[in-house]
Amino acid sequence: MKLIRTLLFFTFSLSLLAACTQVRPWERGILAKEEMAWRTNALEGALNDHIFFSKEASSGGSSAAGGGCGCN
Amino acid sequence: MKAKPSRSLLAISTTALALPGIAIADAPPVNSSLSYQVSNYKEDNLTREESPFGDLGRYDIDVHQFQFISPIGRNFSLQVDANYEDLSGASPWFTTLGPSGSPIVNLSGASGIEDSRSELSVGTRYYLENGSIGGNIGYSEENDYRATYGGISAERHFNNDLTTVSISLSYSSDDIFPTDAEIFNRVISEDKSSTSAAINISQIINQVSTFQTAFSITEQSGFLTDPYKLIDTRPDNKTQIAWSNSYRRYIRGSDAAWHVNYRFYHDDFGVTSHTADMSWHQNFGNTIQVIPMFRYYNQSAADFFTNVDDFSRPATDFQSSDYRLSAFGAISAGLTVKTTVGDWDATLTGERYLANEKYSAFSVSQPSAALVRYFRVSLGLDFSF
Repeated sequence: MKLIRTLLFFTFSLSLLAACTQVRPWERGILAKEEMAWRTNALEGALNDHIFFSKEASSGGSSAAGGGCGCN
Repeated sequence: MKAKPSRSLLAISTTALALPGIAIADAPPVNSSLSYQVSNYKEDNLTREESPFGDLGRYDIDVHQFQFISPIGRNFSLQVDANYEDLSGASPWFTTLGPSGSPIVNLSGASGIEDSRSELSVGTRYYLENGSIGGNIGYSEENDYRATYGGISAERHFNNDLTTVSISLSYSSDDIFPTDAEIFNRVISEDKSSTSAAINISQIINQVSTFQTAFSITEQSGFLTDPYKLIDTRPDNKTQIAWSNSYRRYIRGSDAAWHVNYRFYHDDFGVTSHTADMSWHQNFGNTIQVIPMFRYYNQSAADFFTNVDDFSRPATDFQSSDYRLSAFGAISAGLTVKTTVGDWDATLTGERYLANEKYSAFSVSQPSAALVRYFRVSLGLDFSF
């Protein structure tokens, strides 16, 4: 049931994307700024993923999982 | 002597090539970069109330991270990541009922644990007209654990490059060989594997904001039990799903960017969690950036979690007192200061993490006595050339 609800939210989110405005290539300068990146610091992001993986029960989300560790 | 291109011009050129729709084809990064970050995070000692007997010290961990990214020819890029981790301290070994009737923690080993982990990953990416494909392989080794993993990913742009869809697959094969196995009657050697898939959709909403949603599913099988707990038995397979959403918005009047992320997670151990975090990336001119961050996490307990180990139950019954499987919430707050000087970036980050059963939005029937609290500090350097 939870999986079905999750998939419904996912599909609903996709439908909202159709309401977005057309942004022409020369209007995307702000979007290219470093502070607008999904992950502004790759090493900091990887470290946080690793620490939270070893301290909490959850993982995953934005990409497929990488390698494991003992992390006790 | 050839004049060195200005960093500003390179940045504009790089970002122009990276923007969907600007370039005729996707392109690798213009510059190479070399990054290093050193971090230390130390878990708070347990209190005497939590552990009436023995040492109270927990983990103290140093982490060194290296990354090298470089374009290769017109259509390829190379990425190399190397990590070294050094840890010492003790972790919860078993839990019992204390004199006051509350669970108490007994830490492992009078002399503590000394371990180190080394990891190397190499990846490449091939850039096409409307997207790219890539792959990576990696290897991680520590005193009692070895992992070999690989992954592939592909992305494509649609809708006048306003929409990007990416998919990724990964596989990891891990070997576990606990230290002092015969002394403490632990398993001698076990293995486990993990297969994961994810789909990610990014959308440009308008000139100042973007949105991303992603879904991943991971299947683990093999030895999933913690061999360092005095008693711990878990199922030999686990399916986990995660759904993440991210929003980025640039605030023109403030020259700052606002980041918001949310993740829903569920697995068939019975754990459900919600994670929400936000950060504010404030520019001060072109050389200084200050980034405060706040994160809230809360999870439910695994079906077989028990905060007091029950040694009367058969060893085949599923049970674990691992605090990571208990119901709890965690708050963390941090601050990063970044400065840019020529081709160099330097960052300094401090973060405080506090886990507590009172922070959980889920019902907590068995609070763990071993929830972790730590302080982390990181120093990073990045050089573009």
